[in-house]
Amino acid sequence: MKSKLAVVTFALLLGVTLDAAAQAKPEVLVKQRQAAMTLQGKYLGPLGAMAQGKAPFNAQIVQRNAGYLEVLSKMPWDGFDASTKGEKSAALPAIWEKAGEFKQAQERFENEAAKLVQVAKSGDEGAIKAQIGATAKSCGGCHENFRQKN
Amino acid sequence: MLFALLLFAALGDAFAQGDAKRGQYLAKAGGCVGCHTEDREGATPFAGGRALQTPFGTFYGPNITPDQQAGIGRWSEADFIRALRHGVRPDGANYFPSFPYPSFTRITDSDLKDLWAYLRSLPPSARANQPHDLRFPFGWRWLVWIWKWLFFTPGPFQPDPAKSGILNRGAYLVDALGHCGECHTPRNFLGGSKKSRYLAGGKLPDGKGVPNLTPTRLKKASDKDLKDFLQTGQTSDGDVVAESMGEVIRNTTSQLTPPDLEALLAYLRSIAPLPEEKK
Repeated sequence: MKSKLAVVTFALLLGVTLDAAAQAKPEVLVKQRQAAMTLQGKYLGPLGAMAQGKAPFNAQIVQRNAGYLEVLSKMPWDGFDASTKGEKSAALPAIWEKAGEFKQAQERFENEAAKLVQVAKSGDEGAIKAQIGATAKSCGGCHENFRQKN
Repeated sequence: MLFALLLFAALGDAFAQGDAKRGQYLAKAGGCVGCHTEDREGATPFAGGRALQTPFGTFYGPNITPDQQAGIGRWSEADFIRALRHGVRPDGANYFPSFPYPSFTRITDSDLKDLWAYLRSLPPSARANQPHDLRFPFGWRWLVWIWKWLFFTPGPFQPDPAKSGILNRGAYLVDALGHCGECHTPRNFLGGSKKSRYLAGGKLPDGKGVPNLTPTRLKKASDKDLKDFLQTGQTSDGDVVAESMGEVIRNTTSQLTPPDLEALLAYLRSIAPLPEEKK
């Protein structure tokens, strides 16, 4: 009995501890998710310029940035916790009202970023540029319905 | 003399016929492909099917390839010109103003002929149109008469002699072909553009924000920033534009010649600054 109680207590404590770690303050969560997206912009921006022919194509930079983007593409989402609804940001209520669609939009971006990593390895400039475009489009798809435009 | 006459006749004929290559560029500047193409990968361009959601219901862009049944293969050039200039179908019925003829009416005759020549050169697609899905009573086409009477002024663009050629070109690209105001000018409850708020942005009826394109906002950005944005869809800090404008950038603004893009920006910088819409 005692040992069972200990297990349950331990599990509860662990749960609380993990939860506390995940549950940063809402304003911190907003800041963190915005930071993740800022970095996505940092590493996607030069690729967009290459895809449009505004900057010289550099396969190495594409490979490196694609790797970063794949990881970064997973980062913002747990920052859209329901506790952040009241925080000042461009996040629209649709994020929580249409959670399924929001999830799909996240996955679209994650998939495109992962695909960019694969295509970047191929060295096929045309395919890489097309995939850069598809990745940017998946960012814009999410901004369309879930971010307040101004 | 005879040679000159022949040459003149040949040129005259070329103009009368319309130039498909010029028309292709004009179709890009007009963004036709957006509403007239399904929103899925591998969709046939200009074969119709895009859904446009509005407070009045959902409109579907029709097939404008030269297919005899599904498209506009049976139209004459005059039918086409009348459709864009007056918002009237070949059978005389009114188009709903989801087709932005309040802007397209300003396209010049010679550009309309070139556009027509281009559309005639497309491969026909048999993709069937779907009817609009409109809320009561907006499906009543005759109501469009009243709408047109209130909000529609037909007639081609007239260059302002007091302004430079560049500004006039920019005005033509923004007001006529680009139909920027269809989204960037707020509308009243009947869906008419608020002329006093031309290009001042605000909210679309679905609540999405649209930026102010007058100098009030644009003065904050350099020409280079704006050009880069209209060519890549990204701002200098790497932010990616939302997809409704992203599509316009891919289809239209990134396709403009450098002088046309300059003219577009010069015109936007020259219009009267209007304050942001109250939130």
